Amino acid sequence: MTDVNIKTQSRRRGQIQFLFGLTLLGLLLLLWAILAFATPNFWSTNNISNLLRQGSMTAILAIGQTFVIITGGIDLSVGAIVGFTSVVAAMLLEAGFPIWAACLITLGIGVAIGLFHGFGIVRLGLPPFIITLATLTSLRGIGLLMTNGATISITNDTFTAFSRADFLGVPSLFWMVILVGVPSYVFLHHSRWGRYLFSVGSNAEAARLSGVNVRRMIYLAYTLSALCASFVGLLLAARIGIGNATQAEGWELQAIASSVIGGTSLFGAVGSIHGPLLGAFILATINNGANLLNVNSFWQRIITGVLIIVIVYFDQLRRRGRS
Amino acid sequence: MLDHPDPKTQPPRGVPILELRGLEKRYVGTHALKPADLVFHAGEIHAIVGENGAGKSTLIKLLTGVIPRTSGEVFWQGQPVALASPTEAMALGINAVHQEVVLCRHLSVAANMFLGEEKVRYGLMQRRRMEADAQQILHDLGFDLPADVLLGDLTIGQQQLIAAARAAIRGTRFLIFDEPTAYLTRREAAQLFALIRRLEKDGVTIVYISHRMEEVFELATRVSVLRDGTLVGTRTIGQTNETELIAMMINRSIEQIYHKEHYTPGRPILETTGLSGAGFEDISITVREGEIVGLYGLIGAGRSEFVTTVFGRHKRSAGTIKWDGKPVDIRSERDAIDLGIALAPESRRDQGLCLNLPVGLNLNLPIYERLSNGGLLYGGGEAEAADRQIAGLRIKTPTRSALASSLSGGNQQKIVVGKWLNHGAKLFIFDEPTVGVDVGTKAEIYRLFSDLLRQGAGIILISSYLPEAYELSDTLHVFRRGRLVSSHGYHSVSHEEILARAIGV
Repeated sequence: MTDVNIKTQSRRRGQIQFLFGLTLLGLLLLLWAILAFATPNFWSTNNISNLLRQGSMTAILAIGQTFVIITGGIDLSVGAIVGFTSVVAAMLLEAGFPIWAACLITLGIGVAIGLFHGFGIVRLGLPPFIITLATLTSLRGIGLLMTNGATISITNDTFTAFSRADFLGVPSLFWMVILVGVPSYVFLHHSRWGRYLFSVGSNAEAARLSGVNVRRMIYLAYTLSALCASFVGLLLAARIGIGNATQAEGWELQAIASSVIGGTSLFGAVGSIHGPLLGAFILATINNGANLLNVNSFWQRIITGVLIIVIVYFDQLRRRGRS
Repeated sequence: MLDHPDPKTQPPRGVPILELRGLEKRYVGTHALKPADLVFHAGEIHAIVGENGAGKSTLIKLLTGVIPRTSGEVFWQGQPVALASPTEAMALGINAVHQEVVLCRHLSVAANMFLGEEKVRYGLMQRRRMEADAQQILHDLGFDLPADVLLGDLTIGQQQLIAAARAAIRGTRFLIFDEPTAYLTRREAAQLFALIRRLEKDGVTIVYISHRMEEVFELATRVSVLRDGTLVGTRTIGQTNETELIAMMINRSIEQIYHKEHYTPGRPILETTGLSGAGFEDISITVREGEIVGLYGLIGAGRSEFVTTVFGRHKRSAGTIKWDGKPVDIRSERDAIDLGIALAPESRRDQGLCLNLPVGLNLNLPIYERLSNGGLLYGGGEAEAADRQIAGLRIKTPTRSALASSLSGGNQQKIVVGKWLNHGAKLFIFDEPTVGVDVGTKAEIYRLFSDLLRQGAGIILISSYLPEAYELSDTLHVFRRGRLVSSHGYHSVSHEEILARAIGV
């Protein structure tokens, strides 16, 4: 192959990737424009705040999920972790723990779950799909056992008020996305561990031979994912004011869908932070808009499904053009 | 037996069955097979010998329809054939038994033998009947192997026998064996030879590709020699000898690409004493500063197993390793890298590169610890290091952010080798560093070796290409069947001598 050939190919690829990023943003803006015209209520402060709140939690889950998917794995347990940690947070608060202690312990439990996933994959040699599927079902069970199936109401008003609060006119929940997103961006794109995550997902063998501690990176990815999920558990508990182990049913699929729509490749080694964020808010917008337009909520699920197929198909085209 | 070759269509012994006229294969940048004329006679055992990269596998792939030819003609019993697909080749009765078994490890031996031609009654598979039939066939062939176990439970050698048996019962009239004995024990090899002779008796034409001279002289009726993509000549087995064949296999015009600078060797970096492990036994070698230690041998001689054990990948069963004069216990790749050992693996696609990641990331992967500050990468040090490497190694890539997969094989190989330059390792292990790269890139990779030696590093070079191992090694160790059979100083013996040692003449 000649130099010129490579050069044009690479430039074309650069353009395509840039366009892909723009496409997502464009899609989001297009949806907003359409909804702003189609419904009188969409562009109201109230609804936008609501939309941001809805999207925020999926967005944080999607960031965590992305770390895992980049290594070529999958974390099915994040929804269950959200439900489980909402119970933990509620119980701790009701037992009289101060808010900071309750939050720290809850996040610590998230870390522990992530380490357990790493242990299962690295030490026991279980496929990520299996170990996280196992924790998905058992965490729901443990949460139900702890509460006897009941819902725990949170009486700490300072805690629940947080989710309704605004800062600089933006919902505090959305600020949490920035709080998670910025360090995540630095970590993934401007630290050596980010490079290692990509290398593990691309070719674990080559990474190991280059001196990358592959096992440690696997532990790290799943721990970050579970940590994000337990953080979302706290946010959810604050938002709905209860702890319930059956909450956040199916959120793991929302998180995976957001990540994939955002350009993360399920084969590993391809992904970003801004992509999943856009993906999460696209899903939230579809949800929100469908509600405003009185579209049957069953349709929302179908639209989401179609969107995943279309976007991932274009992603495949992009990848094929590359090799 | 099912699908036995129909005797009516079997041409009489000695008549041309397959004829090549000017058969040629070019890839971009390489001439894998130069125009070749060759006639295979029905019922003969025709051996093909040649060094690695001589074009043997290209020839097999052309004959079995795996790759299309660039030009030339092929005649099957006098009729021109396209051989455009494996299906077409198989329909003619051309089959191959590959060095690596391409069967389903998770199915039973019987299921594999009848794969695609299962015995069915009322839409149901007759497992028992297939097992009984397979067992009978194996018994007839003189193979003492069970038909009802999973294929994966057999040794590689036994699987090879099953693959051969499978080909034998499928109406094959032209069967190619590609280095079939590489993984076989002596007993398994004897069973395989019995099968081959039996096929010959049935009138099947056999093409037998091997490095092993004794096998060629034991089995073949004629032998053809390939060298650097050229069909050098064909001999009747009674009218040639090992010396002549080896002379034909070796390219005498050693090109100027083997750039070699000699440095005075310094202190020993690595010493192994009586090192044994899976695939090799009792290996004692020393690598000193500023020298290239070459390991020559045939594929499967235990060289890769030896170096990966030094690199901490596999456990050693006996022997000691000394690093810098002190005994060390290398338990993992991490231990090896921390000591200062770097390994550029044999298979760059599987082990050497992150193909769907940028060139720059691949180059920097071993040194990110040094490029980052508190784990963070900033200030453009990463980009600078990558650009310096790309310029220094003369890697042809538009930018450092181009994906490694978009580069040519030679440039990819420069990444695999060159990423260790900045790492500061003391001992570099290069496993077949120039497989599949063109002459120009080869020369650049050899220049890298000189750079490393000048910095005081030592190199272990594994090469199955004799001119390369011969011209570059300060000390050349010859491996055969897991053992070190001889050691030679720079240019102290002839090519023929070394090849003879490796083959075990």
